[in-house]
Amino acid sequence: MLKLDAVGRQFGSLWAVRDVSFIVEPSEIVGIIGPNGAGKSTLFNLIAGAVVPTAGMIRFLDRTIDYGKPYQVARRGLARTFQIPKPFKQLTVRENVMLSALRRHHTPRQANAVAMATMEFIRIIELAEASVASLTVGQLKKLELARALATEPVLLLLDEVMAGLTPPEIKEMMTVIGALPKRGITVVWVEHVMMAIMNVAERIVVMHQGQIIAQGTPADVSKNPTVIGAYLGEKYAYAAR
Amino acid sequence: MGAGRIAGAEGIQAISFSVAPRRGAVSIIEIVVLASCIVAAVVVSNRYAVDIMIRTFLWAGLALAWNIAGGYAGLISFGHAAFFGIGAYTSTILLLKYGVPPWFGMLAGALIAGCAGALLTKVCARLRGPFFILSTLAAGEVVRIAALNWRTLTGGSEGLEIPPVPSVVDMVFKSQWPYVTIMVAYMLAMFALSAWIEQTRYGYYLFATRDDEDGASAIGINPSHTRIAAMAVSAGTTAIGGTLFAQYFLYLDPTHVISPDISFQFALICAVGGLGTASGPVFGALIIVPLSELLRGLLSQSTSGLHLVIYGIIVIIVILYFPSGVSGAISRAASKLSLAAGFAARVQAKKM
Repeated sequence: MLKLDAVGRQFGSLWAVRDVSFIVEPSEIVGIIGPNGAGKSTLFNLIAGAVVPTAGMIRFLDRTIDYGKPYQVARRGLARTFQIPKPFKQLTVRENVMLSALRRHHTPRQANAVAMATMEFIRIIELAEASVASLTVGQLKKLELARALATEPVLLLLDEVMAGLTPPEIKEMMTVIGALPKRGITVVWVEHVMMAIMNVAERIVVMHQGQIIAQGTPADVSKNPTVIGAYLGEKYAYAAR
Repeated sequence: MGAGRIAGAEGIQAISFSVAPRRGAVSIIEIVVLASCIVAAVVVSNRYAVDIMIRTFLWAGLALAWNIAGGYAGLISFGHAAFFGIGAYTSTILLLKYGVPPWFGMLAGALIAGCAGALLTKVCARLRGPFFILSTLAAGEVVRIAALNWRTLTGGSEGLEIPPVPSVVDMVFKSQWPYVTIMVAYMLAMFALSAWIEQTRYGYYLFATRDDEDGASAIGINPSHTRIAAMAVSAGTTAIGGTLFAQYFLYLDPTHVISPDISFQFALICAVGGLGTASGPVFGALIIVPLSELLRGLLSQSTSGLHLVIYGIIVIIVILYFPSGVSGAISRAASKLSLAAGFAARVQAKKM
């Protein structure tokens, strides 16, 4: 599905991401965790084609991605959410979701059907005709996910979809994300809300200072002393036990 | 590619109607306004009034053309006078030097202006907001200065004159009614094009690129292609208006035709009427053009410049109190009315 081979990106003299290699298999949920500034967002932008790597190679569906052309990567079936939601502000919620479906379904009417189904799935159907300006943070995050899903992707990159959500909203979102592999969608997910990602993701990649310091199941990773030292902290190790 | 063909066949959709202007629907108010324009064009015979109508319809069409880039794609341009001038000069030069009828010269002008618009957007691809606006302003000035100095082609500041010899082939008429007809047709065609854009996926791509570029490319839209296409169509259709202008006034000079004032006027009409809607530019032109003409007619003799002061004040008031333009104000009023009507109906039902 997705293969990163010694990928690196340098900003000035700083390597934001360095020598990162991992493979994502179809229908997997892979979580990426790490402290702020670990290079998670840069890694995301690299995979999505928004940032051009300085070193290494990224292959998606057995083909090297078009670096620097996020729209080409998106057309091949990769969708993403943004950490700060990027809705189309002058359109309604329905139009926002419908737009995502327009590349595959050429008329607004056909795309609308996909939008309706997606909003039903994410449970924002009652907001369909609302303007984006009236949404809460939680609703915006759901809209962001709906917009990504309406492109009917094979690989979905989630960037901190839980940030700013209330505990009930987090529960709801966990159910939605957990159900994605059954719909044939592979997920790569960056998250700070450990409760959510440790429970839903099947495999965790831990990043620190631009590099991968550990990989494995949530249980393995949470016991790893390097990870605890760099990110989770002693308390988490205690809680995980 | 079967799916693609099916999609194409279903591309022709049933037109949906609404009372107030709404995106993706033809509204009753718009139909009424446009129909009264046509009726007025047929009924009114006063020469001065018809002249104002001709200008109004021409400006409505031009503002609609500007709106494709400025309203739908968010490419606010203060350089559209350049495209307007390219249209006017191309058809006029072809007519005067090579005897090409403006009916064809118009298309040549549209093509050249379209390419110029595409080129400008390509060159300024990295500029956003005020920087893009300034670069369009500069581009407009470059074209104006080029036209002033390329005397062999444009006649420089002396301008070009189209001989006032009536001829259908040369698009020169003695009476006013052919001009009214042409301008109404231009306005209606531009309105139809705008309404069509709003209902297609290309229109939605424009909205997406305008509202959030990163968000647009994340769902597979190529923002730079979208922008270039919008500007090319906008520039090309503006150029057609330029040809019509030249054929009506029969005189062109760079200072008046390629002036930034013309560009500002396009933007102003759209801002007053409602940016990014098909009805906005029409409403804007119906208010702004007769207003400025009447004020000039009434006040220019008493105190010079007074008509501009009053005109400016009226424009400021409209922009202050109707931030989404007249079109937006009508939509809001209509939704309030329908809410009130619904409330009244519920009250009635309770009483029963």
